[in-house]
This record gives sequence, structure tokens and C-alpha cells, in this order.
Amino acid sequence: MSTVASMTTPTVTHAPVDTAGLAEKVSIRNLDFLYGESRALKGITLPLYKNKVTAFIGPSGCGKSTLLRVLNRMYDLYPNQRAEGQVLFDGEDILSPKQDLNLLRARIGMVFQKPTPFPMTIYENIAFGLRLYERLSRAELDEKVEQALARSALWDEVKDKLNANGLSLSGGQQQRLCIARTVALSPEVILFDEPCSALDPISTAKIEELIDELKADYTIVIVTHNMQQAARVSDFTAFMYLGELVEFDTTTKMFTTPGDRRTQDYITGRFG
Amino acid sequence: MAFNTALYARRRRRNGLAMGLSVAATVFGLGWLVLILGVLLWEGFSGLSLAVFTEMTPPPGAAGGLLNPIIGSLILTALAVLFGTPIGILAGTYMAEYGRYEKLTSIVRFINDILLSAPSIVVGLFIYEVMVAPLGHFSGLAGAVALAVIVIPVVVRTTEDMLLLVPNPLREAATALGMPRSVVVTRVAYRAAKAGMITGVLLAVARISGETAPLLFTALNNQFWSLNLNAPIASLPVVIFQFALSPYADWQKLAWTGALIITLAVLALSIMARVLAAQRKMS
Repeated sequence: MSTVASMTTPTVTHAPVDTAGLAEKVSIRNLDFLYGESRALKGITLPLYKNKVTAFIGPSGCGKSTLLRVLNRMYDLYPNQRAEGQVLFDGEDILSPKQDLNLLRARIGMVFQKPTPFPMTIYENIAFGLRLYERLSRAELDEKVEQALARSALWDEVKDKLNANGLSLSGGQQQRLCIARTVALSPEVILFDEPCSALDPISTAKIEELIDELKADYTIVIVTHNMQQAARVSDFTAFMYLGELVEFDTTTKMFTTPGDRRTQDYITGRFG
Repeated sequence: MAFNTALYARRRRRNGLAMGLSVAATVFGLGWLVLILGVLLWEGFSGLSLAVFTEMTPPPGAAGGLLNPIIGSLILTALAVLFGTPIGILAGTYMAEYGRYEKLTSIVRFINDILLSAPSIVVGLFIYEVMVAPLGHFSGLAGAVALAVIVIPVVVRTTEDMLLLVPNPLREAATALGMPRSVVVTRVAYRAAKAGMITGVLLAVARISGETAPLLFTALNNQFWSLNLNAPIASLPVVIFQFALSPYADWQKLAWTGALIITLAVLALSIMARVLAAQRKMS
């Protein structure tokens, strides 16, 4: 039994993490989420540690994307969706009605499943968000755009065509442009919602490498269907099933000696 | 496998019959269209000359052109677009962006669809009652307002439809950068829907450029050069209406020419709309 598990379990590449002494950047406390009358998240309590990558895994419909969309209150765009409980971001409850949503979303950035460049030039895709928050001279703007593109490992590929339409890039480049756009605003947390599911393996590897570099400066959350990916990029893993958090631990522990039978079954590919 | 030749032959005959009927119906329908266009081109082109664009409408029996109705039509159309487009775009924006899930939106959409297919003479009568009758005289302004009332539902509809085609992830992506709703709409959604929205305005222009009924009750007509919007003003459709029904051969000739000019203008607008739509698909 355990030998079978170890044969099919994805390999964890990170060194084990010691949770003692880690700062909680975000604390999710007893969170429920409702689509109308149906409860999609049930009593989730979960820490997100500063400068660490936390992966949400679980079968389709388990609520991992819903949980991610609570963190920047994206659900507010739609009617009949509401969250109950607490989500503390640096100790401040983001679910509070007093929360300034635009400011919150500037501090908690998000990268989506499908690349979504805006229908404008590569340069403008990044400068656009910057101009909303800062009054910058052309030179300062140029510099910030370059920094963001460099940070997202895209600068060398696009430096000669900054005025080309963002939509003219390849899928992987578009996704890195979206990351650059998010990074440009210097958020504190970056949420990745299955960022590689529309990408080929080479682009996926680049994005994963990037996530690994970005965690030096940001707290990162990634939703993924791909367990190898979770094992490769994350320090912590949360396994969710049917709207509940089944287990949360260091990725090393989750992929070697999970505490719950359901986690083990999912990780070894027995369901989901 | 047993092959029933009779069954197969019968099916072939039926297929042939259905196809024959379809082709006949198409030829019948298209035939009239070609006939109308043919006569229009024949009669219209034979009357086309420089004078048509440089001279005023003549009294019966004299030489003249269509300058005043052409300019009048341009003014009325431009004003109608100026009045109608902002209202239409704002309403369509409310329906697609701000009030997408509101009950008000479905009510407005329902009423807008009625307005979209309302006979234009009803619009003319309405403006007559609210503008012409109280003021005591026909005016170009009333004509422009009547045409604007026809422009609004077309623009509302296309604006809403085009904005609904903008994928939600794009809005979410903009929102996720901390952009307020107004910026998401004006800088991202409008940009993505631009070609379609312009197409809607062009189609509205095409629609109103041939409208006669609403103008008969509002702008009426003017035999002379006049740019006064507070007075009756000439327009191509009304001049065509008046001249075509007259017993004078030279008036009838000018009516044909006017009809040709409108048709060509609408054709140009349709081509522009198609080109824009094709661009939208490519991007």
C-alpha cells in the first residue's frame, strides 16, 4: 500500500519548511461561501504564510477557485454570492463592508487561468494599471514597465516590440505579460488561478520558475489541477474536497505522509 | 443488404422537388430585388449630373438639383446621431455592465425591442404632438429629434450585444488590478467592443437616412435653401416622396436620382459596417 503510494506520488522538490516563526500574511477563519442558497465553502480555516507559496488542490468543484476569489473579493462582481466568516489580511478583515475593494485588489493581485491581455499595446498593458495609482513621468513609467517585464522574464522577448498589440504574443508570453501587469503594481499577495492550464509544457516550466523567484517578494497562492505542479512550486498545500478543507500542511508532509485517507487517495490519483 | 430501388428513387424525386421549390422561391424573391435596383440605377444614373449637387430644387418645368435636400438630410442625420448615440450607448452600457442582473434591464430590453420595430410613422406622430404642435410650426430640429428616437433603440441594442460579447475574464482581469468599474468599462470593455459599437451607429445611420414618415410630420420640407433648424428643412426622402408623386417629368427624374443617392450612401455605410465587423473578428 505505502509502496504503491510512494511510486505514484509526485516528487516534492522543496526542502521541508518549518512553520514555527512564519508570519501569517492572510488568515482565513471559519469561512463559508454561498452561491444563492448553495454552500460552496464550509468552515474553512487556513493560514497563508508570508513569502511562501501555498497551493490549493482538489477535484473540480471542490471550491478551490471559489476560495481564491474570496481573497480579492472578485465575487463582489456578481449577484447572489456572499462570504461569511473572517479573512484577515495583515490583521484587517477584508470581508468588512468598509473595505475599499479597489485598494484591496491593488494589494492582492490575481493571474487568471486563460491569459487576458487587454486589447492594447504591450507597453500600455502594464502602464495602464500604474497610471491609476501613481502620477509618473514618461521616464519613470518606462523604467517601471521595464522592471515589471524583466521581473516576469519577458523583457528580452518583447523589448523591441513594446508597441505591438498584447494579443499578438504567444499564450505563454501573454500569461507572463499578465504576471508583469500584476507585479508592476507591487502587490503584497499574488493569486494564481490555474495559471498554466492553457499553456504548453515549456511555457509552464517558465511560469513555475517565475513563481519560485517571485516568492522572495510576494506571498503566493496557486490553485492547480496538476499535482506535480503543486509538488514542484509550493511550500504548503491545502487539499479541499466538497467545499471543505480536508488537510493543510507543508507540501513535503502532504505528498509523503498525508494524515487523511482522502488526501492520499487524491494525490495518488485514485479519484478526482 | 436489400436495396429498395423504388424507395430510393422516391426519395430522390422528393429531394429534387424540394430543391426546385427552394430555388424558385429564391429566384422569385431576388428577381424583384434585382428589378428594383436595376430600374433605380437606370433611372437614377441617367439623371445624375453636377447640377444635382450644386443647384436647389427647381419649380416644375425648370432646371435644378438636390443641393438643399442633400445638405438638409446630412444635417438631420448628423444631429440625430449626435442626440441619439450618447443616450443609446449609455443605456446599453447600463444594461450590459452595471445592471446586467437587474430586473430593470430586462424591462428596458423588452421595451427597447418594441421601439426597435415600431413603425416610424408613430415616432413622427409622437414628435409632432410633443414638439411641432406646441411650438406651432414644423422644424428641422423636430425632424432630427424624431430620427434620434429611431437611432436610440438600434444603438442600445448593438451596444448591449457587443458589450455582452466581451469576455468576463477580461473584466475580471481589469478589476483584479484594482480598477474601478468606470475605468473597466471605458478603457477595457469599450475598447474590446469598439468595432461592433461603431457598426451599430453606422447601421442606425443607414436606417434613418431613408426614413420619410417621421420627417413628414416634423421637418416637413423646404423648397429653398435654409439651414434654420427652427424652420422646415428639406430632406432627400421627403423630396423624393413629393417629386415622385408629382405629374412633372423633370421632378420625377430628380426623385429617381435622389433615391439613387440614398441607396448608394446606405450601400457605402453597409460596406463600412461589414469591414469593421470583419476587423473585429480578426482581432
